[in-house]
Amino acid sequence: MAEEFSTEGMLDMYLFENQQLLEQLQEIVLEQKDADCFDEDSINEIFRTMHTIKGSSGVMMFDEITAVSHKLEDVFYYLRESHPKDVPHLELVDHVLKVSDFIMNEMEKLGNGEAADGDAGDMINDLDKFLNSLKESNGEKKEIKENVHQEPKQFYIAPMATSASHFYKIYITFYPETELANVHAYKVIYALKEIAEDLLYTPEDIISDEGTAQVILDEGFKLLLQSQSNEEEIRKLIGIGYDIKAVDVYECTAKEFQQGFDIIGSGTKIDLESSVEEIEAKAQEKAGQAGEEPKKKEMAPGDFVIQSKEPGKAKKLAKDKPKKQEKAAFISVDVSKMDMLMDLIGELVISESVVLQNPDLKVPGLKLDNFNKAAAQMAKISTDLQNVIMSMRMVPLTNTFQKMNRIVFDVSRKLGKDIEFEMIGETTEVDKNIIEHISDPLMHLVRNAVDHGIETKEEREASGKKERGKVTLSAKTESGKVWIGVQDNGKGLDREKILAKAKKQGLLEDGKPESAYTDKEVYQFITLPGFSTNEKVTEYSGRGVGMDVVVSNLQAVGGTLEIESTPGQGSLMNLKIPLTLAIIDGIVMEVGTSSFVIETGAVKEFVSVRESMMNQKPNGDEFVMIRGECYPVLRLGEWYHLPEYQRNVEDGMMLILEIEGKTICLFVDKLVGKQEIVVKPIPSYVKKVKGLSGCTQLGDGSIALIIDPAGLIE
Amino acid sequence: MDEQRDTQKGKYVTFKSGNEYFGLKIQYVNEIIVFQEITSIPESEDYLKGLINLRGKIIPVIDVRLRFKQEPFEYNDRTCIIVINVKDTVVGLIVEKIAEVVEIQEENILPSPSIGHADKTQNQYVYGIGKVGDTVKLLLDPDKLIKDEDISVAEQAEENKQEEEGVEES
Repeated sequence: MAEEFSTEGMLDMYLFENQQLLEQLQEIVLEQKDADCFDEDSINEIFRTMHTIKGSSGVMMFDEITAVSHKLEDVFYYLRESHPKDVPHLELVDHVLKVSDFIMNEMEKLGNGEAADGDAGDMINDLDKFLNSLKESNGEKKEIKENVHQEPKQFYIAPMATSASHFYKIYITFYPETELANVHAYKVIYALKEIAEDLLYTPEDIISDEGTAQVILDEGFKLLLQSQSNEEEIRKLIGIGYDIKAVDVYECTAKEFQQGFDIIGSGTKIDLESSVEEIEAKAQEKAGQAGEEPKKKEMAPGDFVIQSKEPGKAKKLAKDKPKKQEKAAFISVDVSKMDMLMDLIGELVISESVVLQNPDLKVPGLKLDNFNKAAAQMAKISTDLQNVIMSMRMVPLTNTFQKMNRIVFDVSRKLGKDIEFEMIGETTEVDKNIIEHISDPLMHLVRNAVDHGIETKEEREASGKKERGKVTLSAKTESGKVWIGVQDNGKGLDREKILAKAKKQGLLEDGKPESAYTDKEVYQFITLPGFSTNEKVTEYSGRGVGMDVVVSNLQAVGGTLEIESTPGQGSLMNLKIPLTLAIIDGIVMEVGTSSFVIETGAVKEFVSVRESMMNQKPNGDEFVMIRGECYPVLRLGEWYHLPEYQRNVEDGMMLILEIEGKTICLFVDKLVGKQEIVVKPIPSYVKKVKGLSGCTQLGDGSIALIIDPAGLIE
Repeated sequence: MDEQRDTQKGKYVTFKSGNEYFGLKIQYVNEIIVFQEITSIPESEDYLKGLINLRGKIIPVIDVRLRFKQEPFEYNDRTCIIVINVKDTVVGLIVEKIAEVVEIQEENILPSPSIGHADKTQNQYVYGIGKVGDTVKLLLDPDKLIKDEDISVAEQAEENKQEEEGVEES
């Protein structure tokens, strides 16, 4: 029983870790898919990732995963060792993605409690072929060792930086009475880090292992240093003080340097096996601690190396690389617990308003100064609480965007289009629930952009477009909403084609000439079910089921889609989504006996109007003139056919709403106040009512309906 | 669990609507609450009276009389709301008066007689007639009761059509 339990824990760990590794891997690959080849860092990283996955899968006895990751590791081993000139980069990228997909897929099965029964045989053969062709095309004669493990000793070799670099062997002898010699030695390392391009020392684990103090005293502290500084500077940095008896610095050749401590004597051999693990381990550690020091353990020279470093800028160490910083200290929490917390805070907000707006407080003559003070304090705390829980639920769009990157890559390759993908503002944070809802719509839009939007190479040439096809995915927050844009520089939407199709499907209003439709109205047609102007149905789009799904998914989270397009220059799909769905700042108003709430952000101003300001068109549409501007009027009571409502404009209140660049006046009977409201969905049993997006509980326990301004405008 | 089912077996909550008594299987019934203020939803069917706040949960309520196309009635202090849960849809039923919980044996339930089309709307929701002593209770199918009529009509039409087509083909 106990055993069973522990394997289960291992599986979770295995899945979790490898998931992260694969995500990183994909990120690296996608980042460099457009380059001519992977840079050395990435090759090392991919190699290490595969190595780790291979290792852990071996332990878990997932043979197929082990085999396929081993093969890919071989390929990257070859790349790393032999630096072949002629690598079909795209093909390689394809292989890496395929392998990572395969492993992801297997892991998903494992996660669902199924067996990892996928067959990687084909993939392994492909990889073999690829590796062989790679070797052939690069004139490889000698046999590359198949199994990486048998390599006796391998450093991550530092690129031999600028010619100004010198290599030194340094021996430091401490006075025998020095206490904690290891700490003193560490001080030296720390000082040298400033100038080191590469640094290796023995004994290694001077920080973690106090036993090394004796070794240092007995045998001296040995360092290998690659640096541009001269001997003088090095001596100065080390300094001779009360602790250090002598410092010997010898300059040596690069070759000697690479041979490491074997030449010096008693240095530990660093074999590849452990250094890979160590580096992985270190990468994990780095996550937690910024500004860390070279810690314990073995230092393979490659650890400290920075490539293409400019002279005099020796300070930055490889471990400061920005991409490592993403791995902040996280704990994973069950989403259902977060939802529960959110619900509870929602209830807290409601009961807060129940207390603060309690009718008992409205008794005239009550002295409430202290109560009000305490109430204000409480309101502040509950607002803070809400903000914190909100921010906990906020997730950056990075992952979602990264997926799109993948889609662009896959689809464009299959269609033979050369497409660049750009992401702007991918760190924008959005409520987790919303992310789940926009993933699919985004995917549709991105696919559409690649498939329909961007022309084929020939078409582009024919129309004289010089630049590459490009899809830009951008995100920003503005006025409490997230704007996500999918832009392409393709051919744009064809107004005539859409109109013709709309006519064929009988979507045009009778008696309205085609020219009377605005571009926006025309583009809206493509969001209708079953509407596709593409003559051919391709693997990716053209069935006409895409856009209406996009729109309905967006509407489910209160979002909207705006389409802009310039023929010949491309289209822009703008998704506007509320930042969060749970708690909003709302204005409560009454019409007859019903209460309504509208999001504060949508209201531009409140105006009392006089009868003389009202105008009526012959068809019954009302307008109001306010400060020389003319706005259409919508009477809420009339709109919803409520049994009773204020008909006299002078006794009611006008709310000027601004939505999506349009302005309308909403007429209601009276305003009640402003409060934070917890948005609850209208039960799905009730059919969707135009202009209502949800409901909420007011302070007195009654229910108010939440107005969706965008719905009113339609 | 089984025990619970056993104790609930054959038990029906009965209520009065118009002149008849109706019965609902007790396992569908979550609770019975006194009438409370309803927030109406604009642009919805007339029998869908609106939403109520049931201890923080917002649920829709249906007026059973209007659902049966009977004359509307004044709500008073005897008016009750039966909260039912059918396949995870929680709905309140506004009824004139709760009668009692009765036990009706299987053998005392007769299938709903279909006499012409006179009382069609009501008939559609009644799946059987239970005899309790001298009285009869019309047993309701809650699934059909809360289901959107328009859809089911449309579905039926579709089904009929398919059947017809099927006949033609054969």
